[in-house]
Amino acid sequence: MADSAVPTSVSGAGEELILAGVRKTYGPATVLDVERLALRSGEVVCLVGENGAGKSTMMGVIAGSVDPDTGTVSLGAQALGGGTLAAQEMGVAMVSQEFPLVGELSVAENLLLGRRPSGQRWFVDRRAMHTVARQMLERVGLDVETRRRVDSLSVAQRQMLEIAKAIGREPRVLILDEPTSALGPKESEHLLELAREHAASGSIVIFVGHRLNEVREVGDRIVVLRNGRVVADLPPEEATERRIIQEMVGKELGETAARSGADDEPPVFSARGLASYNFGPVDLQVNPGQVVGVAGLMGSGRSTLLHLIMGAHERTGGEMTLAGKSYAPKSTGDAVRAGVGLVPEDRKAQALLLDSPIRWNITLATLRRIAWRSIFLGRRTERREAAELVRIANVKCQTPEQAARSLSGGNQQRMIFGRWIATQPTLLLLDEPTRGVDVGAKAEIYSLIEQERQKGMAIIVASSELEELLDICHRIVVLRHGRVAADLDRTDFSKERIIASAALGAEK
Amino acid sequence: MKTIETEIATELLPGQSIKGAWTRALRRLGDSPEIGIIIALVLVFAVFTFTNPLFASASDLQNPLGVDFAGFGILAVGESLTIITGGIDLSVGSLTAFFVVASAWLNVTAHLPMLLALIITVAVGALWGLWHGWLITRLGVAPFVATLVTFIFAVGADEAIAPNPIPISSPAFLAISDSTVAGVPVAVLIFLVIAVAAWVFLERTYIGRELYAVGGNPEAARLAGIPVNRRLVLAYMASGACAAVVGIIEASRLTSGTADSVSGWELIAIAAAVIGGVSLRGGQGKLIGVVAGAALLVVLRDGLVAINVNAYYQSMVVGLVLLAAIVVDRLRVRRLEHASRRLVRPDRAE
Repeated sequence: MADSAVPTSVSGAGEELILAGVRKTYGPATVLDVERLALRSGEVVCLVGENGAGKSTMMGVIAGSVDPDTGTVSLGAQALGGGTLAAQEMGVAMVSQEFPLVGELSVAENLLLGRRPSGQRWFVDRRAMHTVARQMLERVGLDVETRRRVDSLSVAQRQMLEIAKAIGREPRVLILDEPTSALGPKESEHLLELAREHAASGSIVIFVGHRLNEVREVGDRIVVLRNGRVVADLPPEEATERRIIQEMVGKELGETAARSGADDEPPVFSARGLASYNFGPVDLQVNPGQVVGVAGLMGSGRSTLLHLIMGAHERTGGEMTLAGKSYAPKSTGDAVRAGVGLVPEDRKAQALLLDSPIRWNITLATLRRIAWRSIFLGRRTERREAAELVRIANVKCQTPEQAARSLSGGNQQRMIFGRWIATQPTLLLLDEPTRGVDVGAKAEIYSLIEQERQKGMAIIVASSELEELLDICHRIVVLRHGRVAADLDRTDFSKERIIASAALGAEK
Repeated sequence: MKTIETEIATELLPGQSIKGAWTRALRRLGDSPEIGIIIALVLVFAVFTFTNPLFASASDLQNPLGVDFAGFGILAVGESLTIITGGIDLSVGSLTAFFVVASAWLNVTAHLPMLLALIITVAVGALWGLWHGWLITRLGVAPFVATLVTFIFAVGADEAIAPNPIPISSPAFLAISDSTVAGVPVAVLIFLVIAVAAWVFLERTYIGRELYAVGGNPEAARLAGIPVNRRLVLAYMASGACAAVVGIIEASRLTSGTADSVSGWELIAIAAAVIGGVSLRGGQGKLIGVVAGAALLVVLRDGLVAINVNAYYQSMVVGLVLLAAIVVDRLRVRRLEHASRRLVRPDRAE
């Protein structure tokens, strides 16, 4: 391709990113094997596939963090390679799921890290820095003060900040790795628009996504990876959700079973006037065997609600009852003892002991219960318990002794489910239960939810994925600015109504 | 019999399987740092004994070697509890020096019966740890800073109580370091009791496991219903109490409460923990490794003295051993992380 006789454009129209014969193996496993893939400028190319299908490796190869065993990657007439810095200089920008932001620095400092906003050689021109930073934020529609410290931002805001940082470099290739997984519907919508705009300005945009509707909406092409190979390269009109899933999974997939209606039993959990700082008052009721969804934009208080019920967030007012008794947790320990469990939003930061064995992870919330005389852990008892939980939660592993780090995202999530199933809670709280897991694992998590629900567990699910809530919930509560904006029964479910009340409130 | 023979035969015939067995053995070694330390310990011990046969004589094994081992070992056990929670306790060296004086003062100057004096000493050690825990959990002071304050304060307190050494006359007090039961110094017995208790605590109680969880991921521990603050306080209390016990042993050996008797021991305790495989990031480490790490350092220290190596070189050798332990630890972590990436995910295999 790189024929020196042919004059090449420096950037802009007609540029191509070509992967040719790219292979990468780790030990015996081939994780990527792409014969030829050409991405044209002006295109938004969506990359989909299950966890472990080779998406991360492919992105790594393009962004320079992964060295392929064979093959070449070229951008225009130049060959890519030689590490992430070289790739960055050639105009590849990647927004990863783990944000490399410096929490102690301000928004502006993070945006311009490694760049200088004005001609000053030795000193930082603070005013120029904040002006440039504000412009960068405006482009992505993020409204935060540029002087704020990054560690005071929410996950969604950090995500947008990271995107602002990447777009600010005017990249020729922009890689977005599941950029919407941390965002609510409205922010996601905006982000898709940004991606399209950026492509329209002559760049190549690579969009990795799990939400198929978004992928279909934003993509000019949908490339499906399975076991490291490109198995399909579809135009949007051919890419129905069913087709994509089929290609990803490689087999027919049954529809999720329709939910049976809620029972008419009295509520097992109720909250009245639940309040905290910038939150509430919120009233909420859940019946046994019922799945109640919590929808809302980012910052609407979805996680706060769950953390309040879990006793993990300071409560300033309100009363709760659980199983007919007054319930006022002062700590998470109180909540666990009363029969409440929480699968938190951010697996790595809030749930996993990454370098400890699965056994330790899965028995963590029941340690005391399985201990002899409530003190001593019996080796055999614990191993038996762990093996049983691994089976119930369907964690696929070689042994419960392997480190949690070695599991895929979906398996890690099921392991955390196992941790709480072990406690047999009366009320289970799920915060973004399928965030960052692949389609197959999602289905399994839904079936776990259904299985526990049928046993009579009451479940509250907070999620930014509306389809998910519409699919698995009996009722959906929509939050807006920390208050209930709508409380819909299954018969009243509609995407439009939820989005409308989340964004506008004033639901009659 | 026959099956065993065939098994051996099949295992030895192809050259590859010998190599495979080696790799497996090496890998297992890499996975459990404790075994490596124990091997190093045996080797080092053998070298010293070979160079100076007196080194391993019965009396030297009891004192200084045994008593030193007890002292460093107990400090290292307490220290590793705090490191496992993701913290650190810089105060244990100064506190030990303080309790050398304080225990003597209580027994001699305040005329308290020996047993009562020692109980009060250990209780004050635990309370001091409680103070560290309070600073760390309630005020959010970094463990390094909270214990650094004590590190500095205790040095002064030590001299303030006893400008001159306080001679100890109680035979029972002195017996702690100079008498033996069935050939084992009492100090070593105390250490063994503490080590076994700590092992049971860490490996066989739910609170011990929760300590690891707090160190591995405090937020995950909190959201799983674990009282994180209480676990942290407990670790610092145990560490303080251990320092008090070591103070008593040292006072007994010195036969007086002498100010400034020990210095730099907190670093030896930290080194022993790290050499034994306790991760400074928290959440990882086994008690057996800590004990072996302390033993290795004591053997090195006393052994180098026994073969007349200059004091400068002693410190350098200890530093190099620490370096080696850290490098091996990092390589192990890297390999684990690598393995997890390379691992053929069981759910994807075939």
